[in-house]
Amino acid sequence: MRALSKLDFYPYWLLLPAVIVAILVAIAPLIYGFVLSLHDWYLLRSPVPTWAGLANYRELLTDEDFWLAFARTWFWTLGTVVVEFAIGIPLALLLNRDTAVAKAVSAFILMPWVTPFIVVAYGWRFLLDSELGLLHGLLETASLAGDRSILADPLGALVMVTFISGWKGVPFVVIAMLAALKSIPAELYEAAEIDGAGRRQRFRFVTLPALRNTAVVIGLILGILAFYSFDLVWIMTRGGPVDSTTIVGISIYQTFFADLRPSYAATISSVMLAVLLVAALLTLRLRRAEA
Amino acid sequence: MTMDRDRLAQVALDALTLLVAVLLLFPILWVAVSSFKPEGDILAAGLIPRALTLEHYRAVLGEAAFVRALGNSLIVGLASALIAIAVALPAAYALARFQFRGREQLGLLVLSTQMLPSVAILVPLVVIMRTLELSNTLTGLVITHLTLGLPIAVWMLRGYFDSIPRDLEEAAWIDGASQTQALLRIVLPLMAPAVVAVATFAFVLSWGEYVLALSLVSSTQSKTLPLALQALFDPYSFSWGQVMAGGVIIAVPAVALFLIFRRYLIGGLVSGGVKG
Repeated sequence: MRALSKLDFYPYWLLLPAVIVAILVAIAPLIYGFVLSLHDWYLLRSPVPTWAGLANYRELLTDEDFWLAFARTWFWTLGTVVVEFAIGIPLALLLNRDTAVAKAVSAFILMPWVTPFIVVAYGWRFLLDSELGLLHGLLETASLAGDRSILADPLGALVMVTFISGWKGVPFVVIAMLAALKSIPAELYEAAEIDGAGRRQRFRFVTLPALRNTAVVIGLILGILAFYSFDLVWIMTRGGPVDSTTIVGISIYQTFFADLRPSYAATISSVMLAVLLVAALLTLRLRRAEA
Repeated sequence: MTMDRDRLAQVALDALTLLVAVLLLFPILWVAVSSFKPEGDILAAGLIPRALTLEHYRAVLGEAAFVRALGNSLIVGLASALIAIAVALPAAYALARFQFRGREQLGLLVLSTQMLPSVAILVPLVVIMRTLELSNTLTGLVITHLTLGLPIAVWMLRGYFDSIPRDLEEAAWIDGASQTQALLRIVLPLMAPAVVAVATFAFVLSWGEYVLALSLVSSTQSKTLPLALQALFDPYSFSWGQVMAGGVIIAVPAVALFLIFRRYLIGGLVSGGVKG
């Protein structure tokens, strides 16, 4: 670049506002959250936090509610990603064809992903409503739900909301996989055909390996998103019935706003962030490997 | 013969595609259809509406609290999108066009906030906003919504800068333009559609945001649309039709803007991920 030596500080000035905002709204809260987790703070007892060292972490280790929520969160996260891929990959393959229908559907398939959670959550609640819900009627006929909505059944609610969470993420998988499919050079298929590979073999040895990297990376991104879900569960079930859908995101919120223990909520967040950090580093490494 | 069989296979696959798409989009179609059904038809739970009505939209838009929330969401969304763009543009330009010490690290610092889920920093963020007396204010929402829009804006704009050849700028320098002039007169006009698309994206992220608003705002005065929709639902007597109509009002701008700017957004969507 021209005259870079004269402009030594120029790029730093350009970056400064973004760095300041990132520090203010993300990095500083992150650090403050960790500091809070080392304090005792029960809002009904005291307006200010007092130093407590690792007491919160010790409590967390033996907190059965937390570990149950932690286990549910893994079920929820894996379930969400499995649903996303189980529907998303076949659909991407269907849409990776040069027909008018495939093109038109590709545009609209984004809708579940871009529709805000609050809207889809109420839509699904309506569908599952025990008096008026269309889907509830089907579930009742299939004897998957009784008189009451499936959302009133502890196990049913967890499975149903996990499915809905996966449903909402399907378009993301479709779009990412379509991009990956389109980037496979046609020569690869031609070469495989010349070598005598049949349709099935071409899929097995050309298509699948090309999708693998993308699948791993978006699987991690979607997993991280699911791990910290809050909106969908809170709007649909508030973590109930009897805590059966209380995943960690819900625990954090409840500990803060219902139990009025912000520092204990911050402790849960800090532990979850440690898990996230590992996942994020893994993602970055894989993404770099992909590029 | 094989041509016919191929065509037949494609038609069959097209039919399958349509079936899957309809099933997948059904919950959203259901929201839309229900919002136009008369109250009596909703109770009848039929699939095809027998009559269409705007009564639910009239009822929802007749609620002062909902209309207020509509205004609040517009203000918060526009403000946070504009600030995100104003801050992200120079940052993205620096990351794309300059070599300097710490470039990767500073870039990563900004981008990593993208991976930070709202729920993870919810507690400290709310405590800080309460201390600054910014809870229950639109200002507080604008600031916190920057966590959604800024990193993705930097990420996507950097990609667009990278896609514009440097030769264009260098040619302008040879003609005597300064670096800033080249940026403003040559590069930015080329990027205008992309900038609008990214701003739109930031707006939509703020528009549908739920958990931060829920945690920061309790007064009706400062509620945004998602909270107002929840308020429609919460009381013991509510109308599904009205909740669905409110939902459509929230969904339409988000869906429409995405469909319009799809071309520009998809690449960034896939590479940057989106925060929930």
